[in-house]
Amino acid sequence: MTSAIAVPQLPEAIRARWPYRPRFATVNGWRMHYVDEGDPSGEPIVLLHGNPTWGFLYRDIIPPLVAAGFRVIVPDMIGFGLSEKPVREQAHSLDGHIANLTGLMRQLDLSRINLVCHDWGGPTGLGFALSNLARVRSLVIMSTWAWPTPPAEFHTRIFPWRMMHAPLVGPHLLGRHAALVGRGMYLSVVNREKFRAEAQLGYESMLPDPATRLLTWAWPRWIPLDDKARAYERFTWLEQELRKCTLPALIIWGREDDVFDAATFSARFKTLLPHAEGPLLVTGRHFVQEDSSPEIAAAVLDFIARLPA
Amino acid sequence: MSALRILPSPPLAGTRMAYLLAEDRLGHYPEFREFFRAAFDLDRIGLSAPGYVATEAGAIYALVFIGRSGEAFPAGLEIYAVVPALEPLDDTMVDRDLWQILRWMMDGVGGEWSAAKLDATGRLYKLAAAEQ
Repeated sequence: MTSAIAVPQLPEAIRARWPYRPRFATVNGWRMHYVDEGDPSGEPIVLLHGNPTWGFLYRDIIPPLVAAGFRVIVPDMIGFGLSEKPVREQAHSLDGHIANLTGLMRQLDLSRINLVCHDWGGPTGLGFALSNLARVRSLVIMSTWAWPTPPAEFHTRIFPWRMMHAPLVGPHLLGRHAALVGRGMYLSVVNREKFRAEAQLGYESMLPDPATRLLTWAWPRWIPLDDKARAYERFTWLEQELRKCTLPALIIWGREDDVFDAATFSARFKTLLPHAEGPLLVTGRHFVQEDSSPEIAAAVLDFIARLPA
Repeated sequence: MSALRILPSPPLAGTRMAYLLAEDRLGHYPEFREFFRAAFDLDRIGLSAPGYVATEAGAIYALVFIGRSGEAFPAGLEIYAVVPALEPLDDTMVDRDLWQILRWMMDGVGGEWSAAKLDATGRLYKLAAAEQ
C-alpha cells in the first residue's frame, strides 16, 4: 500500500529563488527534506516554518545568515514542502512532529542551536527545545503560540476559522480547493502583488493535489479550544516549561498580523519569557517573512552577536 | 432550506462510485457525527450499507461511513458520486453538488453552525459554488 506521495518537482521560477541543495533524512519512518547551508563548522541556526508553508518562507533570510558564517538548517515539516506527505490524518500529531524534528536534530548532532520558529514551527520547535535544552542556545519566536487556551478569540469563531476546517468542509475547501495555500496566504501578507508575483507559486506548487494538502486542514484541528482537545496536555506542558526557560530569546512580530495579533501574543510570550528581547515589530501579517526578511535576518544576527559566549 | 433528499438504496446497475472526498475525523466537532448518525439511522444500519442523497437536479451521491476501533461510529466518511460507469465526472457540477451537500449538512447540524456561515466562508475564499 502506498502511504505517501512522491517528492514534487520545483518549477523553474522557484528553483531560481531556492538554489539550495536538497538533503533528506528518515525520521520516524518518514522522508524529511532539509537544506544545510553555510560553514559546516559554523554555529547552527535552525529555521522552522508552519502551515501551509515550507523552507521557501526563509529563502531571503538564509543568504545573510550564511554570509555571516553560520550553518543554516531549514527542515520541511513532514507533510509540507519537499518532505513526504502522509495521506491519512492520523499520521499527524503534535508530539509526532516534535519527535520528527528531534530526530533530525539528533541525526545531525546539532548543539548550540539558535532556533527560529514561526506558526506551527513554534509548538514543534519549542517542544523540541524544551525537551532538549542542552542542544539549544537561543530562541527567536515569530507569530506563534505555546499555551493551551485558544490562541485568540478568532480561533473560537465559527466564521471564518472553525468553519474552514470543519468536518468535510476542511477536505473540500482546503483540500479540493487549496483555500489556505492559495487565497489564505495571499490575504495574510502585506504586499500582495509582490507575493503573487514572486512567491505564491512556490507554495502552491508544493501542494499540487488535494491529498497533498491534508496537513493544511489537519493542523488547525490541533489547536486546543478546550481542555478535552488532543493537544491540551502538550500545550499545558509547553507553557509550564516555557515559564521555567532561561534561554536567551527574541520576539519578532508582524505589525499588521491580524490573526496572531502582536499586542496579545507578543505580550503573552513576554509574560512567559520576561527576559526576552522585543517584541520587535516589523512590517507583516501572519507570514511576516514575506514582507520583512531583510529586517528579520538583521535582527537575528544582531541578537545572536550579543549572546554571552 | 436545502432541496437535498436522503434516498433509499438506488439502482446501481451500470453505474460506478466515483471517489470525491474523504473525512478522517468526522467527530472533530462531535455534532457532525451525531447529525449523520441520526440522519442515516446508523445505530441500526451500521456498516451494512452506504447512505445515499439526491440533489435537486437528481444527481446521486453515496456516503460511505467509516468505523475505527476505539472511536465512536462513524469515525469518518467518504463521499462518492454515483455516475454512469464509463462517463467522466463533470467537475463543475460536482463542485456545485458538494457545496449543496455541505449546506445540507450545516443546516442539519444546526446550533451555531449554519449554511449561511458556510456560504460566507466560501465567498471569503472565492469558491465559485458559494458565489452562485
